[in-house]
Amino acid sequence: MRTALFLLLAMLAPGQAFAANQVALDNAVFVERVSTDAQGKQRIILEEPKVVVPGDRLVFVLNYRNAGAQPADKFVITNPLPAAVRFADAGDTRPMVSVDGGKQWGLLADLSVPMTDGTHRAAQPADVTHVRWAFQKPIPVGGSGKLIFRGVVK
Amino acid sequence: MTSKLTYMGAIGLAALSSVAATPAFAAGTTAGTTITNTATVDYQVGGVAQGQQSASNNFTVDRKINLLVEEVGTVTTSVVPGQTNAVTTFQLTNSSNEVLDFALVASQITGGTAAHGGTDTFNANNFRIYRDNTVTGTIGSWDAGDTLLTGYVDELTVDTAIRLFVVADIPAALANNAVAGVTLRATAREGGLAGTQGTAITETTGANTAGKDTVFADIAGVAGDVARDGSHSDNDDYTVQTATLTVTKSSRVISDPFNNTTNPKLIPGAVVEYCIAVANTGGAAATSVVINDPVPGQLTFNAGTILLGGTVTSGTCDFNGTAGGSYAAPNVSGTIASIAAGAASTLVFRATVN
Repeated sequence: MRTALFLLLAMLAPGQAFAANQVALDNAVFVERVSTDAQGKQRIILEEPKVVVPGDRLVFVLNYRNAGAQPADKFVITNPLPAAVRFADAGDTRPMVSVDGGKQWGLLADLSVPMTDGTHRAAQPADVTHVRWAFQKPIPVGGSGKLIFRGVVK
Repeated sequence: MTSKLTYMGAIGLAALSSVAATPAFAAGTTAGTTITNTATVDYQVGGVAQGQQSASNNFTVDRKINLLVEEVGTVTTSVVPGQTNAVTTFQLTNSSNEVLDFALVASQITGGTAAHGGTDTFNANNFRIYRDNTVTGTIGSWDAGDTLLTGYVDELTVDTAIRLFVVADIPAALANNAVAGVTLRATAREGGLAGTQGTAITETTGANTAGKDTVFADIAGVAGDVARDGSHSDNDDYTVQTATLTVTKSSRVISDPFNNTTNPKLIPGAVVEYCIAVANTGGAAATSVVINDPVPGQLTFNAGTILLGGTVTSGTCDFNGTAGGSYAAPNVSGTIASIAAGAASTLVFRATVN
């Protein structure tokens, strides 16, 4: 499944071929739609972002690969949220997030947002300004993976 | 869409559970906005930081055409026959993600059931549509300061609701509870040029483009106004509330010269008391009700005996009231200020048989 998806993604975005570099990163976005078949079964379909209107759910897919000859260490992928996209979730990839423009980082459940009256409230997905994945282990030569997060068009 | 793929597993499941929680965005990001997402990678090789890598993608937010026409309030507009400037009130909301013009058409239903249950039986005349002036005058109600529209609303801002008044004249001579159904339909037109109605908008069909497409997202309105047609509509109606008057006349013998008031007979010299009862079976009060009754030539009016505003009990005149009215031979007349819907009032006078 992963290989097939990877190939599909490569076809979908021919202009974004991996650069001839140590580390290759590919960034794709899809619109997530729910279709119901004749049996009433729901399926999630990811479409290219051709028809996108406010309220649509987006899936951002980041593919990375160590194309170099040595392991890549201290591997950190950072993705600031576009201004017109509200963060929803990141599946089971457990990223670090920032709710203050990239100053402080943590799991969403551990962050809080200051209120005007001096108190703090728990951070919500809508507060997220940046998403970051920091890898504990080096990416071996030829190693690759995929990260996703979801957002909604404001 | 050139291709699609399904992705199952943990991500797919998470998506299924969260689809229902999609928030409702009334208008949202302006059509034509390009959303660019950029991710960067920082890493080290052999303990040495390497150049940062980044990858971007972008797409354009398309145009979602969505509007809502709603009747304000859920009651019919009560009118009287012959009334000018009878007002029904609607609200138009631009929930699109672009500033648009909206063509307006006020039409009348013919027959069938109107918005508030009655059957449409007449047509009003001289339809006009006004836009509420939210700065001066009575805000929210029709007044002279509101703007008479020439068939469209100009440059309606995103996420903005405005109040529209459909104003019409009611024909004369209509029965109580007669109903006229009214439909207001708004159709999105291209915005961008103030003072001019924009051209018609068509939905982008066929292959999608990478640029700004147009998607109709409106819901169905009244019968004949389907969903996703770039227009929306609602019904309201006028109901005639008028007074329906019925007149009954009764009399009784008060006295004669021989029996006096004990079982008096209708002989010359007898005094007869007349009652003209006016009952209002309509839906509105009748005001300034003038009663006029010529006294027959065989009778002589007894001066100072006119009583006005008396009551009727179970259809029978109570021969009461307060002094008033006037007599100008041969007519007895009096004016009752107001007879409420469902009520009755009387004029009573006495005369002597010649």
